[in-house]
Amino acid sequence: MRRLDLALGALLAVFAAIFPLLVNAYWLHVMIIGMMFAIMAASWSLLAGYAGQFSFGHMGFVAVGGYTAALLATDLGLPLPLGMLAGVIASALLGGVIGWTCLRMSGPYLAIFTMAFSEVLRIIIVTEVEVTGGAGGMTVPQLFHAPTDFPYYYLILALLIVSVGGMMLVVASRWGLFFRAIRENEQAAAAAGVKVTRFRIIAFAIASSLAGLAGTFYAPYIGILTPDVASQDQMGLVVAMAIVGGMESLPGAVAGAIAVEFLVEALRSYGQWRLVLFGALLLFTMRFARNGLLAPGWFRLRGLVAPRAAGLGPEAAD
Amino acid sequence: MLDYILIQAANGLVIGVLFALIATGLTIIFSILKIVNFAHGEIYMVGGYFGYYVITLLGVPPFPAVFVAMALTFLFSIGIERGLLTPLYSPSIERKADYGILITFGLSVFLRNIAIIIFGPFPLRPPSFLEGNLVIGGLIVSDDRLVAAGGGILLLAGLIYFLNRTVWGQALNAVSQSRESASIVGINSERMYMLAFGVGGALAGGAGALIAPIYSLSPSMGLVPDTQAFVIVILGGLGSVSGTIIAALVLGLSENLFIALLPDPSRGPSYANAFGLFIMMLVLLFRPTGIFGRQHVAMD
Repeated sequence: MRRLDLALGALLAVFAAIFPLLVNAYWLHVMIIGMMFAIMAASWSLLAGYAGQFSFGHMGFVAVGGYTAALLATDLGLPLPLGMLAGVIASALLGGVIGWTCLRMSGPYLAIFTMAFSEVLRIIIVTEVEVTGGAGGMTVPQLFHAPTDFPYYYLILALLIVSVGGMMLVVASRWGLFFRAIRENEQAAAAAGVKVTRFRIIAFAIASSLAGLAGTFYAPYIGILTPDVASQDQMGLVVAMAIVGGMESLPGAVAGAIAVEFLVEALRSYGQWRLVLFGALLLFTMRFARNGLLAPGWFRLRGLVAPRAAGLGPEAAD
Repeated sequence: MLDYILIQAANGLVIGVLFALIATGLTIIFSILKIVNFAHGEIYMVGGYFGYYVITLLGVPPFPAVFVAMALTFLFSIGIERGLLTPLYSPSIERKADYGILITFGLSVFLRNIAIIIFGPFPLRPPSFLEGNLVIGGLIVSDDRLVAAGGGILLLAGLIYFLNRTVWGQALNAVSQSRESASIVGINSERMYMLAFGVGGALAGGAGALIAPIYSLSPSMGLVPDTQAFVIVILGGLGSVSGTIIAALVLGLSENLFIALLPDPSRGPSYANAFGLFIMMLVLLFRPTGIFGRQHVAMD
C-alpha cells in the first residue's frame, strides 16, 4: 500500500510540475489560490486534527503574516522577501504567545478565546485606517514582475511541499505522537511524561507560522490586502476544506483545499450560493462522515486495489 | 454632553436587556447540552426575519408578532437540534465538544449565507411598535426602544419563572447538574436537550424580533451579537442565568458609555466591540468559570 501512495505521489509531482503548461491563466490562478488555502487548511488540521486545539483564530495569523510583510515593504521600504520572512517570524512568535496564554483552556473556551483574538485583530485593522487602509485594504507591491503567474505558481508549490512535507515529518515523529496524546487526554499524556505545555505551544507556533506564511504569499500575489482575510467566513472556508479532506490527514486537507477552491470557482456564476454550498458541505461531512470525504475515500480506493492491505485503516497510514 | 451620556446610558441598558435575552439562551443551551452554540447569533437573525414576515405577510400586529416569531424560532431550533445535534448524545461518538464546536460553526456559516439568498442582502425594517419618543428633559429615548426593553424584561421574567417555578425548569436544572442522576429519577434527558435548545433559540429569536425596528434586519446582523453573547456568558459564568443577565446589562451600559466617552468618535463604535472582547479574553485567562460561574456546569 505504501507503493500505491508513492505512485500517486510521483504522478502528482509530474502533474504539478507541468500544470501551468496545461491550463489557461485563469485556472492557474485558481490553482495558486487553492494551494495557498492548502497551507492554511493543512496547518489548521495539524493544530485542530492532531493536537486537538480548536482554534478559530487561524485567519488572524494569516492577517498577521500578510500585514507584517506588507507594512514593512511599503512603510519601511524593506525588500519584500525580507518582509515576508518577518511576517512568518511574527506570526510564529504571536502564535507561541497565544498558545502560551490559552494553556489552561480547552474545547469551546479555547475556540472562543482564539475567535476573540482574531476579531480584535480584525477590528484594529479595520479601524486604524491611516496605517492599514482600513476596510478598503492596502495595496502591496508585486513580488515578481513577470507577464505570467508562473513564478508565483512554482513559489507556492515549493512552499506547499516544504510546509506540508515538514508537517508530515513532524507528525510521523515522536512529536506527532505527543500531539495526539495531548488531544486524547491531557492529564494522561502528562502522566505518561509528555511535556504538555511545551508541545501545545509548539503546535500553536508551527501552525501559526504556516498560516502567516500563507498570508505573506497572499498579500503580494493578490496585490491588495483587506481585513476580510481574518473574517469568520474565511475561517469557515478553511475549516470546511480541512474537514472535507479529513481532519487527521495532512494530504487530505491539501486535497480538500484544492478541491473546494476549484468547486468554488467552477460555481462562480452561482454567486452567493457557493458559500452556502461549502457551509452545507461542512455540515454534511460533520454529520455523516466525520472522518472527512477525501482521505477515507482514498483509503477505500487503495483497499480495493490492494485488498491485502485493506485491513489497515487510516490509522495505520498516517 | 451630559444629555448625550444620559442617552447613551439609556440606550446601553436597552441593548443590555436584549443582549441578556440572547446570552441567557446561549447559557441555557450550554448548561444542558454542554456545547457552545456558535450559530446562536444566526438563530437570532432568523428570529428577526420570522418577526418581519409574520408582520408583513400575515398582517399580525408588531407586538404579538414577537411571540409568533419566538414560537417559530423554537420550532426551527428543535429542527436543528434533531437534525444535527443528536450525535452528541450517542455514546459511540468521541470528543463530543469538538463535534459541537464544528457543527454549530458550520451552521453559522451556512445560515448566514443562505439568509442572503432567501432574505436578500439589503437591510429590512419592520414597522415600529410605537411611533414617537419619550422625552424627559434632555433624555430622549424612542418608544421602540422602550417597547423592546419592556418586552425583553417581560421575557426574562417569564424565563426566570419557567426555570425556577415549573416542573420543566426544575427538570432542566436537574439535567444541568447531572445527566445520570436526572435519568435515574425518570427525566427523559433527550427531551430536555430538545427543550433547552428550543428555548435558547426562542429567546434569541425574540431578541431578534424586538430589535428589528431599531436596527433593521440583515443577514450578517448575528455576527456582533454572537461574539458579544460570548463575552456576556464568559463574564457572567457559563451556565449562570442571573450572572448572564447582570453581565449583559453591565456590558450594554459600559460599551455605550465607552462610545460616549472615547474622545475619538470615529474609532469609538468599532473599539467598543473590541473592548468587550478584550475584557473577555482577560476573564478567560484569569477566571475561566466567569465571575458568577457555577462550578458544576463548567466544561469538562
